[in-house]
Amino acid sequence: MIDLLVIGAGLTGLTAAIRAAQAGLTVRVISQGVGSQLWGAGTIDLLGYLPDHTPVQMPLVAREQLPPEHPLRQVDAATIDKALASVQDWLAAEGFAYVGADQGANLWLPSAVGAKRPTYIAPSTQAAARLDDPAPLHIVGFDRLRDFYPTLLADNLRRQGHDARAHMLPLDLITQRHDANNVHLAQEFEEPARFDALVGSLRYVIKPGERIAFPAILGLAKHAQLVADLQSAIGAPIAEIPTLPPSVPGFRLHNALSHQLEKAGGRVETNMKPLEFGTEKSKSEKDNITWVATATSARPRRHYAHAYLLATGGFLGGGFNTDHTGRSWETVFNLSLTLPRHRDQWFRPEFLDPAGHALFQGGVQVNHAWQPVDAQGKLVYGNLWAAGNLLAHADAIRSRSHEALAIVTAAAAVEAILVQHQPAISAGSATSSRT
Amino acid sequence: MRQLQTEILVIGGGSTGTGVAWDAALRGFQTVLVEKRDLTHGTTGRYHGLVHSGGRYVVKDPRSAEECIQENRILRQTHTHCIEDTGGFFVVTPEDEGDYPDRFERACHDVGIPCSEISIAAALKQEPLLNPRTSRVFQLPDAAADSFLATHATAQAARQAGATLLIYHEVLDLLLQGAEGDRRVVGARVRDMTNGEEVMIHADMVINASGAWAGQIAKFAGVDVKIIPGKGVMIAMNHRIVNTVLNRCKMPADGDIIVPIHTVAVIGTTDEKVTDPERLRIEPWEVALMLEEGEKMVPGISRARVLRAWAGVRPLYQEGFSGESRDVTRALTLLDHRQRDAVSGFLTITGGKWTTFRLMAETTLDKACEQLGIRRPCTTATTPVPGIEQGHYWLGHRLHEVEEEHLQPELICECELVTRAMLEQAVQHNPTVTLDDLRRDVRLGMGPCQGGFCTYRAVCILHTLAQNAESPPPQASSPNERLDSAWEVAYLQSPAHNSKVPGKAPASTTSITSGETSTPIPSFDANLLLRDFLQERWKGLTPILWGQQLKQERLDELIYLSLLNVEHLPGEEATSPLTDFYRYNPQPEQFPVNPPEPTEESSHD
Repeated sequence: MIDLLVIGAGLTGLTAAIRAAQAGLTVRVISQGVGSQLWGAGTIDLLGYLPDHTPVQMPLVAREQLPPEHPLRQVDAATIDKALASVQDWLAAEGFAYVGADQGANLWLPSAVGAKRPTYIAPSTQAAARLDDPAPLHIVGFDRLRDFYPTLLADNLRRQGHDARAHMLPLDLITQRHDANNVHLAQEFEEPARFDALVGSLRYVIKPGERIAFPAILGLAKHAQLVADLQSAIGAPIAEIPTLPPSVPGFRLHNALSHQLEKAGGRVETNMKPLEFGTEKSKSEKDNITWVATATSARPRRHYAHAYLLATGGFLGGGFNTDHTGRSWETVFNLSLTLPRHRDQWFRPEFLDPAGHALFQGGVQVNHAWQPVDAQGKLVYGNLWAAGNLLAHADAIRSRSHEALAIVTAAAAVEAILVQHQPAISAGSATSSRT
Repeated sequence: MRQLQTEILVIGGGSTGTGVAWDAALRGFQTVLVEKRDLTHGTTGRYHGLVHSGGRYVVKDPRSAEECIQENRILRQTHTHCIEDTGGFFVVTPEDEGDYPDRFERACHDVGIPCSEISIAAALKQEPLLNPRTSRVFQLPDAAADSFLATHATAQAARQAGATLLIYHEVLDLLLQGAEGDRRVVGARVRDMTNGEEVMIHADMVINASGAWAGQIAKFAGVDVKIIPGKGVMIAMNHRIVNTVLNRCKMPADGDIIVPIHTVAVIGTTDEKVTDPERLRIEPWEVALMLEEGEKMVPGISRARVLRAWAGVRPLYQEGFSGESRDVTRALTLLDHRQRDAVSGFLTITGGKWTTFRLMAETTLDKACEQLGIRRPCTTATTPVPGIEQGHYWLGHRLHEVEEEHLQPELICECELVTRAMLEQAVQHNPTVTLDDLRRDVRLGMGPCQGGFCTYRAVCILHTLAQNAESPPPQASSPNERLDSAWEVAYLQSPAHNSKVPGKAPASTTSITSGETSTPIPSFDANLLLRDFLQERWKGLTPILWGQQLKQERLDELIYLSLLNVEHLPGEEATSPLTDFYRYNPQPEQFPVNPPEPTEESSHD
């Protein structure tokens, strides 16, 4: 018997597990795959646009303009700061510096198509391309690299008044592979010969004062060292711009947090699809979850824990499913969801409608202690908590809150777990050996 | 204003119009075709791809069935590479009672459609997902056609025979001569949608092959043609659930065909009278109905992943008809306006099926010859279009070529196996106003991710291509003037062939640097291409977003909103000729939660 079973290994699950483990709980993370950070930019977005489409400069201030039921309104600014700062600390301990703008402002960074994207905290290599810095951006791409194109990027930046130019290098410089994705390239880039070839081809084309921006493929674990070396070899600041998925910054983030979790004594077990769960009556009249079974190659395996944190994400993470009749369900505990009942109410006619689509506002409803409640507002299970992008009342992709929503609500949920159950859990974990 | 002189002017660039232009050019007529959008943008590009054996109509509409089987045989010879020889089953499910199967078998015999009953065991061996409670199965020579490729190949054949095809040219008016009662159509005033220029086209004979839009064109001549627009909804399953065309052996109704086409299987169709062929909405109940009907032939199909839904409009026509559109004849109709309305120099060809497009063209040109007083025989039935040496289409052809030629790193659309060279060739040799034009050329964005990855890549490649072009960029002049007949359109779907064509694209290994000071004017508005195509894909996704496809859509949102932030790119106000069309998807005035009461089968049919 462990203290806490976390279901889902995205940013929500990983950061929650680290916090709980650091607080002394025994923790296991089970997940079907890996989280959606492997698709994203690897930045930590807090709030980029308000529901009326207004760009946000100061997310912690603008947060007050979100609807009152929004998950980010359920925590105070200090908690948000603290939650994000601790993640920054863990990443720094793994050698990945994540930085923000001054005084709580958003950073505006170039996207792979040349739009200005708002984020709150970014890997320092991405922050090096910040658009409030007047130094010209020299954007380097590679021919045959499918997921990054410097020409349109630079043209769009120039259309918005930024000084930028594009430069294409042969992909052969960094790989001999016949067919390579971004993660393969990042691995290859860690080889010294590749590094030298790249430096040799760049040394004479850069101009004084320029920043050199690469697609985000500059190494995996050795990223920080490689960037420092590249910087001194070329003599110009080096920046990264995120590519189409798979996301190399996302891999770095995932690996770093997984490692932090291991150091704190927790672990992630993947390829664990939840199948069913058991319950029992508890003293508080609410049922408690007693076990969750997952698929393994041999037979279903039961995980016993005192507390359970659901961190499976929303539609993208696989936390919800729907069918053609308009039925929707939460995939592990069959919790009720706040989605519109009729399919014709799910979407707006325009994909890019700033208001977003009604369906994605729906999700799992929780009480003040981050415990799922039913449609009548009643607690569902006495020892179940939920956090992250499965929470109702936030379309975090539309508002650019995806990562911070995960980190902040995970921190708040772990706080709640510790407040309500720490003594009981500690007692339980001391007497049980079943795993 | 530009002036053009021709003998035959064809209006409409669907299968029929393109077929008419082909036939006319082969008969030696000077021919010009105008189409207001891309070739096959209308109904031709929105059908399920069934090459009818005639079995579907053999009981109800034997004349149409006869046309179908005759043309089915011809098209296998003239358009071989556009057709996959899937064969067809007509299956009697437990829902299909009565003596219809016996009548069906007799009628096939009478019309001359090869029809053999096979054992259920043999049928299940070929199609393991077929309903095992099926009681009888008939095998007929149905097939699947790639209507994009077939029309492009026909267009190339027409061009080789001397025809001029002007796409993105909208008819503003017809040129008329003479007084009421002795009127003559002598041409059309058209507008080039890409630059707004007007062109006067003078012609001896104007042929209206504009399908569901034929009534609007005829009105310019003061002629009343009542097209009955029959909306057909189709849904594409993410997998090729069957390899044989499945038909229910009963009177044609909704959702009773499943056609395997390329990598998907399409369930078709509904048939509903609509007022406007442009403003089509797909209701949730229509999708539900198709899945429920599909269940009867392939149990479990409604739980499989759906890729997309769309609607096309049949240009049905029946003089003096006022009933349900399902009941209108599928036979072709040629309206001789000289005889019918005392307007000479003007013919309207309508009705029919994709399968009978060649016959429609032949019938039309026979009448045109008669009216022009010239005797020239039709040769389309014995003249193959370019590309037939590739043989019948087969499912693995792209994968086979990609593997043989080691083209994996060139793939920019992994779902549909589109290589960069295919895209670059298509964009340099075919007029491209939107990425949707390239979808019709090379199937860009038609796979499971619905453009999630390839939209960004294609836009950037097009932009880079235009920037790098040493000669005038591809779109600098009117797109139609850049058509290059030396490049073989019939091969545009072949990865291997395209990798060998010496492209005009700059070698991709050269280092390029775009200017620092002056902003080069992009020949493509890349940001507009991006927004338009995302919206175009969205339009066909919303009716079927649930389950896995919804998860995929959410990933596309993560990519285009969170990662790329495309809704905050500069140039938000720019629009293309298609922007409004892609956006249109009004909310229903009153949403019917349930489908309309089912009507009696006899009246519905």
